[in-house]
Amino acid sequence: MALLIDLFGYLSVILHGLTIVAQSMALGGILFLIFLARPFADALGTVGDDILRRTRRIAGWAAVALIVCEAATIALQGAVLIGTVDLSFADVMSADFAIAGQIKILAAALLVVLAFGFPNTPRPVLAGVVLLELAAATLTTHANARLEDRVPLLIVEGLHQLGAAIWIGGIPSFIMALGRCHDGMAWRKVGKRFSQMSTVGVACILVSGATMTYLYVGDLPGFYGTAYGVMVGAKMAMFAGLLCLGAMNYLLVERLRTNPATPITRLKRFAEVEIGIGFTLFFAAASLTSVAPAIDLSTDRVTWNEIVERNTPQMPVLTSPDHAALALPALQQKLDQEAEAQKKNPPPAFVPGSGDLPPRNLDDIRWSEYNHHWAGLFVLLMGVLALANQAKLARPVTKHWPLVLLGLAVFLFLRSDPEVWPLGEEGFWESFRDVEVVQHRMFVALTVIFGLFEWRVRVGGLAKTKAALVFPIMTALGGALLLTHQHAIANVKDQLLIELTHTPLALASVALGWSRWLEIRLDPPGNKIAGWIWPACFIFIGFLLLSYREI
Amino acid sequence: MTRSISTGRKVLGAALFLALGAPLPAFAHAILMASTPAVNGTAEGPDVSFDLRFNSRIDHKRSRLTLTLPDRSQQVLPIAEDGPEDQLTTKAALKPGAYTLRWQVLAIDGHITRGDVPFTVGGN
Repeated sequence: MALLIDLFGYLSVILHGLTIVAQSMALGGILFLIFLARPFADALGTVGDDILRRTRRIAGWAAVALIVCEAATIALQGAVLIGTVDLSFADVMSADFAIAGQIKILAAALLVVLAFGFPNTPRPVLAGVVLLELAAATLTTHANARLEDRVPLLIVEGLHQLGAAIWIGGIPSFIMALGRCHDGMAWRKVGKRFSQMSTVGVACILVSGATMTYLYVGDLPGFYGTAYGVMVGAKMAMFAGLLCLGAMNYLLVERLRTNPATPITRLKRFAEVEIGIGFTLFFAAASLTSVAPAIDLSTDRVTWNEIVERNTPQMPVLTSPDHAALALPALQQKLDQEAEAQKKNPPPAFVPGSGDLPPRNLDDIRWSEYNHHWAGLFVLLMGVLALANQAKLARPVTKHWPLVLLGLAVFLFLRSDPEVWPLGEEGFWESFRDVEVVQHRMFVALTVIFGLFEWRVRVGGLAKTKAALVFPIMTALGGALLLTHQHAIANVKDQLLIELTHTPLALASVALGWSRWLEIRLDPPGNKIAGWIWPACFIFIGFLLLSYREI
Repeated sequence: MTRSISTGRKVLGAALFLALGAPLPAFAHAILMASTPAVNGTAEGPDVSFDLRFNSRIDHKRSRLTLTLPDRSQQVLPIAEDGPEDQLTTKAALKPGAYTLRWQVLAIDGHITRGDVPFTVGGN
C-alpha cells in the first residue's frame, strides 16, 4: 500500500491524461460521424461508406479505451481510499467521483454498442450520449469542488472538453478520411467541413479557456507565480502552435477550391503533428487538475523579481560536493551510530511511501545543480553535433551524435540516486524497492536503448524506414510526460522556482520531437526547414540545463 | 509537503526521453487554507479543538485525521460529519508536548490530498 500511495499522485495524472485522450477521440469520432461522415456519405460515394465504417471504428475503440481508463481511475482511487481510510468497497463506489465515473463508463459503453452494433442510430441519440459523457466528465473537474461560481465553471469546463473533442479528438478521423479520398473535390469537401468544425471547437476552447483563466488564475502574479498559472501558460503556448498549424491547413484547403490538384501531403502531416501536440495538451490539462487553482494561493507565490534573479545565467558548477556530505547518507550514518550504541537495528533514514520528505541540505542542492550542468553539456554536445551533421560538416564523425546519449545514461546511472549503489550504501537490487529509483533505472535503460536505436537509424541505413519515427515519437512523449510532473503542495516557493525550468524543457522537447517528425514525413522544402529546428531545440535545452539553479 | 524533483528525472526529460514526475504521496489539489491550531502553532490543553479549512468542498466521510503523539504513536481522530463542506472539525484531549496532525482529504471531484499540521500543546 505504501508503494501504491507513493505512486498514486503520478499515476493519477497519467491515467487522467489517457482518459482525456480516449474521451476526446471517442466523442470527437462521434461528432465527426454526426457532422461530416454521415452528411457527406452519399456525396462521397463508396468512399463515403468506407469513411463511415472507419469513423465508427475509431470512435468505438476509443470508447473502449475510455472505459478501461475510467475503470482504472476508480480502482486506483478506491484502492488508496480503502487502504488509508478503512472504507468498504461500497463506501468508495458511492462517493461522488465514483458515481460520476460509473456514469462515464455507462455512457462510453453505450457509445461502444452504438458504434459497433447500430450503424444507423439517429444523430440526436448519439448527441445525447455525447452530452451525458461530457456532463459526467465535468463532475470530476475542479469546478465541482469549488465553493463559489460552481455552475458557471461546470458549464465552461464542459464547453472546454467539447471544444477539445470536436477539434483534437476529431483529427484522427479527419486524417483517416483524407486518406480514403482520392480526388481534389473530395479532399476539399472533407477539409472544408472539418475546418468549420475545428473553428467551432477553437471558439469553445477560447471562450471557456478565457473564462476559466479569469476565475481560476485571477491576475498576472497568479499567472507567472504559481504552478497552476505556469501550466496554463504551457497550454496557451501549445494552443498557439496548434492554431498556427490549423491556420496553414485552412489556407491549403482554400487553395484546393481554386486548384483541386493541390497536393495534400502537408495537410496530412500537419494534422499528424496537431494530434501529437493536442494529446500533449491533454496531459498538461491532466497535470493542471492536480494543482490548486492560482486564485486560492495568496501566499507562497513567486514574485517576478525572484524569477528573474533565479534564472539569471551564472557560470555552471562543474565540481561536485562530497557524497558523504549529502543529507541522507549523513543522517543514515548518524542513525547507524545511535543504533549501534543502543545495540538495536538502525532505522532507515528515509522510507518511500511514508509521506515524509527526504532530508536535503546545501550539498544536496549543489549535487543536483552539478548533475544538471553536466547533463546540459551532454545535451549541448548532442545538439552541436546534430546541427553540424545537418550542415554536412564532418559527417563521418557527426553522424554518430546519438552515441552521446550513452555517456549521458552512464552519468545518470551513477549520479541520479546517490544513496544507492555504486555511490551509496543501499544495494543495487535492494534499491528496487524504491519507486523513484526504479523509475530512474528504467529510464536510464530507455536512454541507452533509444540512443542505440537512433544511432542504428543514422548509420545503419534505416533513415528512410518507419524505424526513424521511433526517436521523434519518444522525444515528444518525453516532453508530454515531463509536463505531468508533480507540483508543490502549498506552492512552496523554491519548489515552484525549480518547476519553472520544467515547462520550457518540456515544450522544447515537444517542439524537437515534432519538428524531427516533420523532417522525416514532409516533402521539400518543409522538411528542410524542420531539419534545422530540432537540433536547435537540443542546443536550447542544453543551455537551459547549464543555467539550472536551485538556490 | 513534497519531494524535491530529482535530478535524474529532469535530466532524462531534458534528454528527451520518457521523464517521470516525482512519485509523491499526495498532490496539491485541495489545499489547507487555514487551521486551528495553526501550522507550527500552539494550542492550550487538555481539550483541543481542531478546525481545518480547505479551498475545496470535502467529502467528510472519506477523509481522515491522524494525530501523531509526542511518543510517535498514532491516533485516528473522528471527523464531525455535519461540519461545513470545506472544513474538517474534531476534538481531542491532549497532554503538553509536540504533535503532528496529518490530514488526508478527498475533494468532491475525486482528488486525494495529504498534509501535516505540526503544533505544540502548552501546559494546562
